[in-house]
Amino acid sequence: MTPFQIILVAVLSLVALATVALAMRGSIGRLAGVGWLAVTGAGIVFAIRPNWTTDIAHLLGISRGTDLLLYLLVLAVLQGFLLIYLKLRRVRRELTLLVRELAIREAERRGDGGAGDTERR
Amino acid sequence: MVAEGTWVVVPVYNEATAIGGVVAELRRTFPNVVCVDDGSTDGSWKAVLSATPHALRHMVNRGQGAAIQTGTDYALRRGAQRIAHFDADGQHRVEDLVTLTEAVASGTCDIALGDRFSGDAAAVPAARRALLRAAVAFHRLTSGIALNDVHNGLRVLSRRAAERIEITADRMAHASEIIDLIAESGLVYRELPVRIRYTDYSRAKGQSWAGGFRIIFHYLVGRILG
Repeated sequence: MTPFQIILVAVLSLVALATVALAMRGSIGRLAGVGWLAVTGAGIVFAIRPNWTTDIAHLLGISRGTDLLLYLLVLAVLQGFLLIYLKLRRVRRELTLLVRELAIREAERRGDGGAGDTERR
Repeated sequence: MVAEGTWVVVPVYNEATAIGGVVAELRRTFPNVVCVDDGSTDGSWKAVLSATPHALRHMVNRGQGAAIQTGTDYALRRGAQRIAHFDADGQHRVEDLVTLTEAVASGTCDIALGDRFSGDAAAVPAARRALLRAAVAFHRLTSGIALNDVHNGLRVLSRRAAERIEITADRMAHASEIIDLIAESGLVYRELPVRIRYTDYSRAKGQSWAGGFRIIFHYLVGRILG
């Protein structure tokens, strides 16, 4: 193995171990754990046997293995953006609900015994 | 009395110079005015506090749609019979709000919407008219609802309608969202002619074309992602 292959395998193995640890602690979902394990596992295999990416690429009608990896990377990045965006939307929504509740409570606290309660039925 | 059961929700964002006068004028007719300061940075909050006993503040800016919904929740908890939306920059006229309020209070509709085009459309500046017409065309396509004036901030909703229509679009896309919710809910709506007071101040605060495209983007994302 070349030095770079050794580094790659070492790093990917650490990621795989971290994934297992996180999944066992329940920090990430089971599905996400399996998915990450599959990705890192495939990474390790391809690091050791780079030619296999070319073989798979040919099966899919892509001429080079590096192209296959590039396409997969693009898809993964897009997926990542989407997930982050959805998460951000949810957080923004929760923030709005929180800010709203605080605003109403603060106003009601200030208004207790004060003006405005005449309209309450 | 009709005006007393109607709670006027005024979303406020950096309107320190205008808000005091707008609220004072409103309160001469409508005793219950809820101002929601949407995290202003210009001293609007102080003006709001002295303008009305129903002063609410978003600690961080959440957008006009969010502010309107906050004021609505507050007013509904206080037993409001009707909810009105009124802009803070002084572009709406209190007498128009009275007209809309009476339409809802008399039971002819659940929601009354201000329409600046059916009356004296010439009062609307040409550039404004083109932009708003584009918004109208967009809505005919997306919701199938045929309104004259979709982005008019002057509205009156019955309590029933206000309870059914929950604004989740935090920013300016709420105007579009409200139209969709009306279309889906089967609530009865009416557009009534109103006049907008176009001043240099209110015009500077209005939407640009770029703002319009931003609204469309947020609106479409909201529709697709739910």
